[in-house]
Amino acid sequence: MTSYQSELGGGGNVAEELAKGQRAISIAEFFEKNKHMLGFDSGARGLVTAVKEAVDNALDATEEAGLLPDIYVEIAEAGDYYRLVIEDNGPGITKEQIPKVFGKLLYGSRFHAREQSRGQQGIGISAAVLYSQLTSGKPAKITSKTQGEEQAQYFELIIDTDSNEPEISVEDTTTWERPHGTRIELEMEANMRARQQLHDYVKHTAVVNPHARIEFREPSEHLKYERATDQMPAETTEIRPHPHGVELGTLIKMLGATDSYSVSGFLQSEFTRVGQKTADSVVDNFRDRHYGREMAWSPPASHEDADIEAAITDAVNGKGQEATSAFAGAVADAVATRDRLAHHELRAVVEKAADDAEVDSGVTFGDTVRENAVDAAWREIVVGREADCFRLVDEATTSRKDDAAVEALARRVATGFTGNDDARDRITHETLSNYVERAAERTKERDDVSFGETARENVVESFWAVARTVPDDAPSVKETEGDRDTASELLEAMRETDILAPPTDCLAPITDELVEAGLRKEYDADFFAAATRDAEVHGGDPFIVEAGIAYGGDLPAEGQVDVLRFANRVPLVYQRGACASTDVVKRINWRNYGLDQPGGSGMPNGPAVLMIHVASTNVPFTSESKDAIANVPNIEDEIELALREAAREMKRYLNKRRSMEKRQRKQNVIADILPRMADKLSEVTERDQLNVGDSLARIMNNVLVEREVEDGHVKLVVRNFSDTNADPDITDIVGVDPGQPEDAQVIEMDGEWFVKWSPTVAAGETAVLEYDVSDDATFDVSVEGIEDAKLTVNA
Amino acid sequence: MSSDSDIPRQDELARERLIDLAAEFYDQFAAGEVPSMQIPTRTKSNIEYDEEQGVWVYGDRHSTRSANTVGGAQKLLKAIYVIDFLQNQLQENRSSTLRELYYLSESWDLDAAQFNSQDESNGLIEDLEIVSHVKREDFHMRPEESGAKVMGPLLIREQTNRGERQIHCQDDVGQGGYQIPNNVDTIEFLDHDADFVMAVETGGMRDRLVENGFDEEYNTIVVHLGGQPARATRRLTKRLHDELDLPVTVFTDGDPWSYRIFGSISYGSIKSAHLSEYLATPEARFIGIQPSDIVEYDLPTDPLSDSDVNALQSELEDPRFQTDYWREQIELQLDIDKKAEQQALASRGLDFVTDTYLPERLEDMGIL
Repeated sequence: MTSYQSELGGGGNVAEELAKGQRAISIAEFFEKNKHMLGFDSGARGLVTAVKEAVDNALDATEEAGLLPDIYVEIAEAGDYYRLVIEDNGPGITKEQIPKVFGKLLYGSRFHAREQSRGQQGIGISAAVLYSQLTSGKPAKITSKTQGEEQAQYFELIIDTDSNEPEISVEDTTTWERPHGTRIELEMEANMRARQQLHDYVKHTAVVNPHARIEFREPSEHLKYERATDQMPAETTEIRPHPHGVELGTLIKMLGATDSYSVSGFLQSEFTRVGQKTADSVVDNFRDRHYGREMAWSPPASHEDADIEAAITDAVNGKGQEATSAFAGAVADAVATRDRLAHHELRAVVEKAADDAEVDSGVTFGDTVRENAVDAAWREIVVGREADCFRLVDEATTSRKDDAAVEALARRVATGFTGNDDARDRITHETLSNYVERAAERTKERDDVSFGETARENVVESFWAVARTVPDDAPSVKETEGDRDTASELLEAMRETDILAPPTDCLAPITDELVEAGLRKEYDADFFAAATRDAEVHGGDPFIVEAGIAYGGDLPAEGQVDVLRFANRVPLVYQRGACASTDVVKRINWRNYGLDQPGGSGMPNGPAVLMIHVASTNVPFTSESKDAIANVPNIEDEIELALREAAREMKRYLNKRRSMEKRQRKQNVIADILPRMADKLSEVTERDQLNVGDSLARIMNNVLVEREVEDGHVKLVVRNFSDTNADPDITDIVGVDPGQPEDAQVIEMDGEWFVKWSPTVAAGETAVLEYDVSDDATFDVSVEGIEDAKLTVNA
Repeated sequence: MSSDSDIPRQDELARERLIDLAAEFYDQFAAGEVPSMQIPTRTKSNIEYDEEQGVWVYGDRHSTRSANTVGGAQKLLKAIYVIDFLQNQLQENRSSTLRELYYLSESWDLDAAQFNSQDESNGLIEDLEIVSHVKREDFHMRPEESGAKVMGPLLIREQTNRGERQIHCQDDVGQGGYQIPNNVDTIEFLDHDADFVMAVETGGMRDRLVENGFDEEYNTIVVHLGGQPARATRRLTKRLHDELDLPVTVFTDGDPWSYRIFGSISYGSIKSAHLSEYLATPEARFIGIQPSDIVEYDLPTDPLSDSDVNALQSELEDPRFQTDYWREQIELQLDIDKKAEQQALASRGLDFVTDTYLPERLEDMGIL
């Protein structure tokens, strides 16, 4: 916003003038001017959005109550306007809540919950109410009945756009045939130009909610989408935010609201996936950022110039020789056992030695003495700093750098520490990086040896790895909240720490089974496949991607495939081109999977429907109207994997189908040719008619079933010319009693005997099924369990 | 494959062979097997030299036509239909041309048995020749184009449909010469006055030789090849050599395609290698135009085209041209990158060929 400063214009009265025109605007008023942001930018679109919001609410309400949704949507012409009625069989809304739910924007139970649900902001349905009152001037008519009540509540209301409060014009009770549920009736300026989108929306909703029954009546059509399963979607649980998913403002707000004193307690109580251990790691990282680390140096060996014992002895005055030497000796010994030692560790060593010396000698080692001893000992330890730096730099750089260069760099890094105001060699990661950066630049300048980016980073990390986290207490929650930089350090610490992905019981994927069932229900196709991926995380919010494919059958073979997009079970109807899912579909090479794709990229063609569902506690949309999923790389990757998983199945199916078609074509041709060859051969050679069944079955590697009958002895010969086992079910329907043939089941029905065998015939083998009949019998054999293209029946 | 003149007996034999072939397929069906037939692979890589006969014949490589595939089944079906047609034709003592067979298939009741192209029907007849060991002439199948023409001191008797005819191939014929019949085995050689046979590639050169009286002057039987020689022409050449003991010479253009013409007379063609012993004249000798003649006589030339070079290179690998003489000539030609026609000799005058070139060459070759 433009800010006018009072100095402008030379006097104070401009600001005052302006202030007269400045006032708070109600959210409702804001909406009135920004309808497009919520999907009400045209009459056609407004109708779709209103239906969408009401149906989403109805589905959420019924599911939450564990009820199988039964939803009725009606659009009718009403004079100059359209009347929209939506009824559900949900639990109903209490009398007190009804005006707020429908008559107040941003009222809802969802916005603060981290749980997968269709609606989130509490804008949708009240926005529809607002839209209808703005365009038609008519109030919304709401009927709701809760379980067990005799009468339903009836309201007529509008929204006061100044105060964002409901304005009730009628409040009454009424009778309603539904045992419980909610009905909303809106009249609005609209048109049916978006009929296709409406139909898509309802149909897609039915696909993705196979547990729902939806009836849709509009001026020219009446459609019913029946329930395909009684299985409700898994119930979701609400989760606390994940540390990787919060932003600074939210974090500061949470810090202000918590009852915890310590950051550790705050993390554990307010976030998901944070226990004691994770909290400790975050707090360590937090302290490293807030205080920096203390560099730990290797203590000097006794033969080196430094002598800790002597230095301490010099620094301690008037404590008696015995006590002094015991104290100095204890410190020196303790230090010598350490590989590396940071300032605070030295302090701990000194404190312990002093305490021990006090106990042993009875002499008091006061704070000043201790302080002096620490300083004296530290001076001795840092004597070896340069040599230590050399070792660290040498380890971190490649062996190709010669010693002189390494030494030069190490010396300059050490200079950084010497020049530090903090005698404890306490540094932040950033300071350390600066030391190394500066040292590397000087080395380049003076010695003409350059250390590249990676080498510098390696050096920094080798120092940082041996530096020690300081023992200081982390800032408290209050301190952190009070200081933006500190809070930012905490946020960085949270992001940097490895934390388990959020739990996924807050998500309710449709499951691959039901994705398939949904598609099967609404599309008459030959093949269906579906895939549900494992949960992944984007910005702290877990998400699951599912994909489904329907292929063939009645789907139109011409033109592009249909892409059905869903977010949290809600169909996305508009802005297909802006959606991440569309981008992913376009970048997959569908030719690999047997679909036609002109140019090898872009929308594939063919008789297929692709379905993509993203379920998340927070689906990232490109805009408030929630039409398109934003291009989040994690989500795109998962969409691609899910699609590819389903597409692989489709490819297998198509390959098999093509090979079966080819086989069938071959069989058709050969089955046509062979008998003609045989006839001609009989003619030329003047011999008997030939039976080509055996040859045909052999050519096709088929299973051949042939009948031989001789004096009432019936043989069904099953020859397997294929290269795999065959397990046919062979049923012979016989007109007379066949007795009890071996290995067969006989069932008599209306004077016909059904004789059934289920032999297993190995590749290249022959099975003979035999029985006897007394006299001339009729036969009718049927073979199941072998594809037609692989079967030759000659019986 | 005899030249037995007992025609009805020979027809009966051919018919029996065809019916035997059908019976083989019949038996395969009856045994529940997949009907199939084996045919030698008819490619350059599957011909080998028959030491005994001195000709090139098919090697051991075979391909199997079986009803296992759609294509194979269709081929077999057509083969069976053709067998039926041929045995009928023999029985009724009729004959037909290869082209007639192609069109005749249109009248068959089954679409799948009809031919898609004449190459297909020609190939099938060759297949049947091979598997039945009966020549297509004995199936009463004729090629469309007639045989070439002969001019020279030769007296023959021909069995025609209209009775026997005695013809002297110089005295009884016009300027065009005697027309060789499709089935050369209907001719009987009665007498001759010839010293050698000269097969000539182009009609123009043949006419030149006749006009200049070369056949009379040198007692030559001039056989006009007319491009790639028909079977009848090759068969006649072979019979002239074998029965009358005449040396055979071949006079063509000086390019790779003409060497192949010589090759098919001398060594046998790849497509009819199964009939080499019956058609090829291994003793035939090449007169020219040789690449070395182009150099020696400084003939007007054309440059070699890409396909000429390819053809020459392919001849270098052709087993039939693996002799020192041919390797030398072909390499020379590749080297000079030139080719010349027979008519190029006219650059030295119309009589140069009969007065100088041919006498010189024939003397070199020890024929004159």
